[in-house]
Amino acid sequence: MRKAPALVVALGVFAALVTTVPIGYLAVRLVQGWQLALAEILRFRTLELLGNTGLLVLAVTASALVIGFSQAWLTTKTNVVFASGFAVTAALPLAIPSYVMALSYISIFNGLSGFFAAWLVLTLATSPLVFLAVTAALARLDSSSEEVARTLGLGRLQVLFKVTWPQVRTAATASGLLVALYVLGEFGAIALLRYDTFTRAIYNAYRGSFDRTSAAALAVVLLLITLLVIWFERKYRGGYVASKKQLGKKLRVELGAWRLPAALWLGLIAIFSTALPISSLVIWSIRGSANLDLAVLLDALWGSLQLAGLAGIGIGIFGTAIALWSIRYRSRLGQIVEWSSWAIHAVPAIVVGLALVFFGANVTPWIYQTSWLLLIAYLILFLPNALAGLATPIAQVPVLLEEVSQSLGVPANKSMVRVVLPIALPGIVAAVSLVGLTVLKELPATLLLRPSSLNTLATRLWGATEDLAYSQAAPYALLLVIIAGLPALALNLQARRALSEVRS
Amino acid sequence: MAELILRGITKTFDGLNVLQGVDLEVHDRELFAVLGASAAGKSTLLRLIAGFEKPTDGTIELDGTEISNSTSVLVPEKRNLGIVPQDSALFPHLDVSQNIGFGLSGLSAKNKSARVAELLELVELTEFANARVDQLSGGQAQRVALARALAPKPALILLDEPFSALDAELRSRLRQDVKAALRAEGATAILVTHDQEEALSLADKVAVLRNGKIVQVGAPTEIYSSPVDVGIATFLGDSVLIDGLVTGGKIQTVLGKLTASGELVEGRLALLRLGARISICNRTQPVMARLSAESFSGTMRLLKWTFEA
Repeated sequence: MRKAPALVVALGVFAALVTTVPIGYLAVRLVQGWQLALAEILRFRTLELLGNTGLLVLAVTASALVIGFSQAWLTTKTNVVFASGFAVTAALPLAIPSYVMALSYISIFNGLSGFFAAWLVLTLATSPLVFLAVTAALARLDSSSEEVARTLGLGRLQVLFKVTWPQVRTAATASGLLVALYVLGEFGAIALLRYDTFTRAIYNAYRGSFDRTSAAALAVVLLLITLLVIWFERKYRGGYVASKKQLGKKLRVELGAWRLPAALWLGLIAIFSTALPISSLVIWSIRGSANLDLAVLLDALWGSLQLAGLAGIGIGIFGTAIALWSIRYRSRLGQIVEWSSWAIHAVPAIVVGLALVFFGANVTPWIYQTSWLLLIAYLILFLPNALAGLATPIAQVPVLLEEVSQSLGVPANKSMVRVVLPIALPGIVAAVSLVGLTVLKELPATLLLRPSSLNTLATRLWGATEDLAYSQAAPYALLLVIIAGLPALALNLQARRALSEVRS
Repeated sequence: MAELILRGITKTFDGLNVLQGVDLEVHDRELFAVLGASAAGKSTLLRLIAGFEKPTDGTIELDGTEISNSTSVLVPEKRNLGIVPQDSALFPHLDVSQNIGFGLSGLSAKNKSARVAELLELVELTEFANARVDQLSGGQAQRVALARALAPKPALILLDEPFSALDAELRSRLRQDVKAALRAEGATAILVTHDQEEALSLADKVAVLRNGKIVQVGAPTEIYSSPVDVGIATFLGDSVLIDGLVTGGKIQTVLGKLTASGELVEGRLALLRLGARISICNRTQPVMARLSAESFSGTMRLLKWTFEA
C-alpha cells in the first residue's frame, strides 16, 4: 500500500490532536466526579431531554429530507416552471443563520416558542443542505438508466423511486446525517425559541453553576446519541455510488398537470424560508437605521471577514490533507482521523467553546484570549463539514489517471499534486467557501472565545437580541445575510453552470 | 533497444489463479499482441508489467534489469513505459498539448514544445493543440493518449484494448494509424485485445492467453494456419467443426467415411475445416490433413483428403 507523504500525515495528526482536546476535557471532568456525573445522568430530566432532542432531530431530518429532495428533483429533473429561479431560492436559506431565522420569526409572530417553532425554523434552515447534496448527485446521474427503465414499462414515479432514488441515496442520507448533527448541536435558534434540548440544558448548566460536571455529563449523553446517529447512517448508507461516466443527455420528466402545483409547493417553501424572514429583517433594519453606528458595524464586519477567511483557508488545508490521507492513500489511520473528527463534530459548539476556555486558560495561556483559540474552535467545529464536501471531489478523480501519470514518470506523491488536486480543485474551492460561510454564521463559540477587542457581526447581533432590541440587531442580521448570502448564491450559480455544461 | 522477458508469472487474487506461469519474450521494435477472451487475465498481465500489481510468483525483466518479482516491484514511474488505456483517460484539467507533454520532464520549454508539436503531427491532431479534451471524439482522444504515452520515448508501450470503445470503421482506420505511429517512433509495444482480427492484422507476434495460461505464441499466419488446438482454432474464427469417430483406422463423420494415413487413436475426435485445410484433433495430438480436392455433383459434395502425419 502506498504511504502518504509526511506533510499529509503531519497535518492530519495535528488536526486529530487538536480536535480531541475537548473530549479529553470532558473525560477529565467526568473521571474526577464520576459519582456526581452518574447521578446527573440517571435523572428523569435526562429522559425528558432525550425525548425532546430525539423528537426534534427526527422531525427536522425527515422534513428537511422531504423538502430538500423535492426541491432538488423538481428543479433538476423535471420541467417545473421557474426551475432555475427555484434552485436559487432553495439554496438561499443557507445564507440565513438559524438564529437569524428564529429572530425574524419571533419578530413577526410575537411570543413564538416551543417544539413547532423550533421544528419549522430548523427545517427551513437545514433543507438547503439536502437540496445541494441531492442536486449535485442528480447532476452526476446518467440518464440512460432512467430511460432504459421507462422503456421497460416503469412510470415516472416508479422511475423516481426505483432508479433515481437508489442512485442518489448515498448523497441524500449523508446530507440527512448532516442535518441530524446540525440539529443535535444547534444552540442559538433553540435558545431563542425556548425549546429544551441537550444543548440548551448544557448551556444553562454551565452558566448556572460553577460545577461543570453536570454539563459535561449531559454533553457525553449527547455525544453518545451522535455516535448512534453516525452508526445508523453508516449501516443504512451502502448501496450504489455515483455513476462513472457522464452522458450529455439529461432526461427531464414531463410533469403535465402537476407542473403548476409543483411550482406552488416550491414557491411556498421559498416564501417561508426566504421571503418572509428577509422582509422582516429589512423592515426592522429600516426602523433601526437611524440609530446605527457605522464605525461599530464596519469594525464588526472586518472582524467577521478576517475570521472566516483564515478559518476557511486553514480548514481547507487540514481537510484536504485528511481527505487525501483517508481516501487516496486508503490509510487506516487516516480513516480513523476522519472518523474521529466526525465524532467530535457532535460536541455542541457551546461545549467546544467552554472546553477551549478551560484548556486555554490552564494549559496554553499563550493563546488564551487570542484569535488562535477561536480558530482552533472553528477547526474542531467545521472540519467535518469540510470533509463531507471534500470527500466527493477527491474520491471522484479516477485512479486510472494517477496510474497513467505514474507510468509517465511522475512519482505517486507528485501525481497527487499534478493530477488529483487540480482536477478536484473546483470541488475543494466550493467546499472551502461553504466552510467560510458557516464560520461567518457561527455564534456560541465566537461569543465565548473571541478576544475582547474583536467583534463580529454575529456577536454584535447577539448582544442586541439579549436586550430584545430587534431594530438594533436587524442591520447586523441583514448584513450577515448579504455577505454570507452572496457567496452562497455564487456557489449555487457555479454549480448550476457546471450542470448546464454537462447538459450541452 | 528494448526487451521484455516474463518468466513464470503467476498472479493469485483471493486464492484464484488469474495468471499461471506465463512466459513471454518481447523483442525490440516488436508489436506484440496478447489475445484472449474476457477474464483470460489480459488486464492483470498489463498491470503486472506496468508495476501496479506484484506477481505472486515469477519475474519480469526489462532490458536486462529485473523490475518485478514476488518480493519487490519497481515503482511504475521508474519503469520507462507508456500506457494507452481503453478509455484514453486523458487528464480533464489539461488541454491536448499539456496532456501530451505531461510526462516530459527535464526538457527545456523549447525542446518540450518541439516534441509535443512533433507528436501532434504524428497523430495528425496539430489543429487540436489547444483544444480541451472533452471536445475530442473517441478516436481523437485515443490518438492523444497514444501521443502522450509516446512522448517520453518509453522503452515499452502498453496498449489496453485501445480500440474497443470505437465503432468498427473508425477502429480499422485508427489501427493502421497507430501501427504507423508506433513504427515511426521505433517503439516496442504490447497490445492486449480480445479481437482476433485486431491481433492478427496488427501484430508481429501474437500470444494467445486462455484461463491465465499462454497456450500458443507465434507469428499471426502461424497461429491462424496451425492452431495448436480446437479452442484456438474456433476462437480465431472461420472454422467448422465436424465430429468424427475412429473405428478400425477409418473416421466416420457426417460427411462419410474418411481414411487416415497416420496412426489414429480409437474413439471420438473432431475434424476441423479451417480455410483450405482440414485438421483432425483428438484430445492429445493434432493431426493435420490437407484437403486435396473438392467437387460438387448435384447436391452431393465430394471431398478428398490427404493427411499429414
